[in-house]
Amino acid sequence: MILTRRWALLTAIGTVALLGVTGCSAPEESSPGATDASTPSGSITVYNAQHEELTQAWADEFTAETGVTVTLRNGDDSELGNQLVQEGAASKADVFLTENSPAISLVDKAGLFAPVDDATLAQVPKQFQPSTGTWTGIAARSTVFAYNPSMISAGELPASLLDLADPAWAGRWAASPSGADFQAIVSALLELKGEAATSDWLAAMKENAVVYKGNSTVMKAVNAGEIPGGVIYHYYWFADQAGTGENSSSTQMHYFKNQDPGAFVSVSGGGVLETSANPVAAQAFLAFITGKAGQEILKTGTSFEYPVSDAVDANPAMVPLRELDAPVIDPSKLNSTKVTDLMTEAGFL
Amino acid sequence: MIPAAPPTAKPAPDPSDTGRGAVAETGATGLAGRTDAAGRVGKRPSPFIVAAAVTVSVLGLLPLGYVIVTGILTGWPTLSALVFRPRVGELLLNTIGLVVITVPLTAAIGVAAAWLVGRTSLRGHRVFAVLLATPLAVPAFVNSYGWVSAVPSLNGLWSGVLIATLSYFPLVYLPCVAALRRLDPTVEEAAESLGSGAWGVFFRVILPQLRLPILGGALLVGLHLLSEYGAFAMIRFDTFTTAIVEQYRSTFNGPAANALAGVLVLLCLFLLIGESGARGRSRYARIGSGVARVTPRRSLRAFTPVGYLFLGGLFALAIGVPFWSVIRWLYQGGAIVWTDAVLVQALLQTVGYGLVGAAVTCVLAFPVAFLAVRYPSRLSRGLESVNYLTSSLPGIVTALALVTISIRFVQPLYQTTVLVIVTYLLMFLPRALVNLRAGLAQVPVGLEEAARSLGKHPFAAFLSVTTRFFAPSALAAGALVFLGIVTELTATLLLAPSGTRTLAIQFWSKVNDINYVGAAPYALLMIVLSLPVTYLLFARSRLTSVS
Amino acid sequence: MTAAIELSGVNKSFGSSRILEDIALSVPEGSRTVVVGSSGSGKTTLLRLISGFELPDSGTISVLGRTVAGPGAAVAAHRRGIGFVAQDGALFPHLTVGQNIAFGLGPALRGGTRKQRARAVSELLEMVSLRPDFAARRPDELSGGQQQRVALARALARQPRVMLLDEPFSSLDAGLRAATRDIVAETLERVGITTVLVTHDQAEAMSFAHQLAVLRDGNLCQVGPPREVYWRPVDLFTARFLGDAVVLPATISDGFAACALGTVAVAPTSLRGDACIMLRPEQIMVEHCESGGADSAASCTGQVEAVDFYGPEVQLAVRLFCVGAPASGFPQSPGTQSPGTQSPGTLVHVRQHGTMGTVVGSRVSLTARGTATAFAARP
Repeated sequence: MILTRRWALLTAIGTVALLGVTGCSAPEESSPGATDASTPSGSITVYNAQHEELTQAWADEFTAETGVTVTLRNGDDSELGNQLVQEGAASKADVFLTENSPAISLVDKAGLFAPVDDATLAQVPKQFQPSTGTWTGIAARSTVFAYNPSMISAGELPASLLDLADPAWAGRWAASPSGADFQAIVSALLELKGEAATSDWLAAMKENAVVYKGNSTVMKAVNAGEIPGGVIYHYYWFADQAGTGENSSSTQMHYFKNQDPGAFVSVSGGGVLETSANPVAAQAFLAFITGKAGQEILKTGTSFEYPVSDAVDANPAMVPLRELDAPVIDPSKLNSTKVTDLMTEAGFL
Repeated sequence: MIPAAPPTAKPAPDPSDTGRGAVAETGATGLAGRTDAAGRVGKRPSPFIVAAAVTVSVLGLLPLGYVIVTGILTGWPTLSALVFRPRVGELLLNTIGLVVITVPLTAAIGVAAAWLVGRTSLRGHRVFAVLLATPLAVPAFVNSYGWVSAVPSLNGLWSGVLIATLSYFPLVYLPCVAALRRLDPTVEEAAESLGSGAWGVFFRVILPQLRLPILGGALLVGLHLLSEYGAFAMIRFDTFTTAIVEQYRSTFNGPAANALAGVLVLLCLFLLIGESGARGRSRYARIGSGVARVTPRRSLRAFTPVGYLFLGGLFALAIGVPFWSVIRWLYQGGAIVWTDAVLVQALLQTVGYGLVGAAVTCVLAFPVAFLAVRYPSRLSRGLESVNYLTSSLPGIVTALALVTISIRFVQPLYQTTVLVIVTYLLMFLPRALVNLRAGLAQVPVGLEEAARSLGKHPFAAFLSVTTRFFAPSALAAGALVFLGIVTELTATLLLAPSGTRTLAIQFWSKVNDINYVGAAPYALLMIVLSLPVTYLLFARSRLTSVS
Repeated sequence: MTAAIELSGVNKSFGSSRILEDIALSVPEGSRTVVVGSSGSGKTTLLRLISGFELPDSGTISVLGRTVAGPGAAVAAHRRGIGFVAQDGALFPHLTVGQNIAFGLGPALRGGTRKQRARAVSELLEMVSLRPDFAARRPDELSGGQQQRVALARALARQPRVMLLDEPFSSLDAGLRAATRDIVAETLERVGITTVLVTHDQAEAMSFAHQLAVLRDGNLCQVGPPREVYWRPVDLFTARFLGDAVVLPATISDGFAACALGTVAVAPTSLRGDACIMLRPEQIMVEHCESGGADSAASCTGQVEAVDFYGPEVQLAVRLFCVGAPASGFPQSPGTQSPGTQSPGTLVHVRQHGTMGTVVGSRVSLTARGTATAFAARP
């Protein structure tokens, strides 16, 4: 009797263990599509540096449409970018999605991407694509200066991102330099102003800026009055406003415009790995994201990122992209390695 | 590494095996002519057992080897440029400051709490004794989350000290409670008869005798401080570990991350050496047989309210605050947060990893423990210490090493469950080892021999007699590894197969999006999974104190 | 001699169990008193009451004229100035022997120079017959006897006027025990400290004590010089507790008892009529007997039924066949057995030198020497 019960217990534990380790987790190996080479099927693995919620929404709808199973590996831009470079031909990834351009350029420069289907490229305006055609923009976000009006008046706001290097700003602005978002902004600065100016600016920032981890945290601190302002991306503010607003209701956003480095619009990228075991489904996924259905999710969902497709407008709550007067930068020229080196040198990493 | 660990991840030197090993060391092979646990010259251990133990231990050397080899490959000019820079100085200052302030603080609080529940007549001391062990069930990063929810402005060194102290004081408290029960009461009475008052007895007699448990606990606290990521990242406090994780985020496994890892490993070794130096060769065995008398509890008289305030306050800060935050978020989130489809998957997956990891770790720890107890020799002691060394390395270093090694040399293992389990094995082996070793040592060899004289095959004798005896220790060993895995964050983040969602990973992902409401169910589940194990830990620490 | 320690009306219970009941004890200054009792008799509790580790429920305890426990007084253990040596020495395991001894040295010496302390420690070691180089050793490197002597030296360091020893020799083996006991006794004698020792070992108690106190179930049954308590116990329990006893039914008149061994002088002389007497085995002489040798007033013959060999001496079980006295166990009324019947006779256990070569079946004659103790109670 006792023995039976003990066996029952052991069996139960064993089942849970197996279920947990294998059943649920097992990322299905990317499997080639079935008989018809042009119809996506099977499963794909996406190295996802974009917001998990957004990509999950894309994946769910894509799965509903095509039946292709999508497994996400979440991480940060540079982490996953560097990981792909290290994995090389052995990578199990089929698709790589980033928040910003530098990391995807890194993978591109390592020659790991297959050309994006022409039909997909045609869905996205040229300004959101690299000249190489090996990846494409999937969404965009704008740099902003979030500030707390009770601590700083509109007249005091910086005219340029470069002004934040001024000693007057010591201890008065925040950023999250360890994140890929901010590093993308620095890469734009590097591209626009050169290495020496960037290095100097970073050195001044080391003196002036208060360092937080994550853009949300920066905004939360500004909102709480811990610090007057911070450099973040626009959508954190909108996402919070759409929710409870508890981390943003006391903040406002200041767009630099004037093609200032601070007006930088960062392009999120997507590419298909050349080594993908299921290129048909992978290409179909990218096509879906950049297509009308995928871009609609940007407009209607909770991500508040800008769609890159001409066919879909941005969420009406946001300032239209064309009014932001962003500097023109070829996204494929953004150099993530150089930026990390400079930031390591400046003592942020 | 992990927010909670056994009170003795590093065993006190076992007095019973010193000296015997020297006798055993005869042949040049180092394995010939050894003695068994009873001190008689016995047979050699099975070559399979030796091979298994050596394999596990060599595996354990991989992370350290990785740090050294990458250091050499990077070359001195690059390495020195990466190490000798202001940022590293900053991190060093933060990390050392954290250790130097927190370790004595946890030691003081741990000892004071142990004394209050163990030696005073405060009402409810039994309840407090259990309650004060419960912070071990709250991972440090959950504790940090609770505190940040309650006091959003927390940041920097002192907040780090606050949260770390509240999370880790049980690591000193538990062994001290156990040791206090073991102390010979007549020794304290002797001090009283020699004119020492309550304070004199405490500082001149009790405290010195608690030196080993305090040192052991303090070492664990130190190692936890060096390896904790989540708790400090949440309050914007940069230590070596948070910086390595950030470097990893920016460069995957670039040279800067490895250089930082090298410095961090040096800090760990420094702690290990410091502790073993302070420990010295001394061991304070109870000298006489003593009297089986329970030490009378002391009334605090006028200080009674202070005693309650201390114990109650400690509990409120360490458990009350995080718990209240979790409950508050859960209340705000309502029923909807529980409908998260990932929740069940994460729970199952976490439990699955925990169970499989615990089983594998126990099975593979067994040969090492078996050799250490039954065939003590320089080899078996060496194998044991290798494993303690590995587990002292922060999880981020071990994970970084295994990611790189698997990607370059054993690609079939890369991003597989097997690799995650191997990482858990390396990180948590000593938890299993300590318990299995103690359990095996308690089994009289005579019983097994009796079974053999009754006609049983040695293996059958082992199965029928010894395993029965040490099953409880094996269970405890498994439970401790389980606890470690359930609350493990950094290594799992780096190594798990794509699509893996453990409770810790999901919690962390929600917290990073400042979705504190969504994170709450995961926090609660981690605590609920850890609580029984923590109680087991507490119960066992009392049990061993009796024998 | 005034009393250094005075207990009166002391009661102590733990929960519902009564440990000590109405204890009155006076320990003369400079003397050694041994409290002897079986385990569970309450003797350790008695010692802990005096030392201050426990407080009495009622009653008064005074030490050197100062009331340390009683109505309105409760002096803490560390303020009583009483030396205490525990059963296993209770040396501080984390300190060396020297540090152990120096632990209780007065503030003057504790603050004194290293040299002064070392000299004091050496002197104390010497006092308990240990070499000065023991000071550097650790307690676990000492034998049990050495540990006890260090514990004594440590207690002596504070120059207490009262010393309490709790079964200090019980954990030592036989040879070491006697030697350690002698050293301790001699040391205490020399320093002239009032000492209370508790033990369950009667021989140890009698050899060590100036005054012996027998404790039974929380009551002191007898207090007095060891010889008096041994030879003139107040009751049969005490008699049997302190050593072997031959107890015989007897009829007493005019200070003499008629018993199975013949006529024996008894004390107290006031008793008359049916009683029982107690003789120590060493009071009974055993001789091989030629036929008809039993003619002395206090002797009779018997047959050896069993011989237990103990080395220097043997114990004999002798079945008496004497005439003229109640022949068997006292409970039987004298009328049921007519005098003169040969069996079954009284069985007595006596001792004899091992050299005599007595074997089972020998006929021996038994002769009582000295005075027996008479009890009104029946055995």
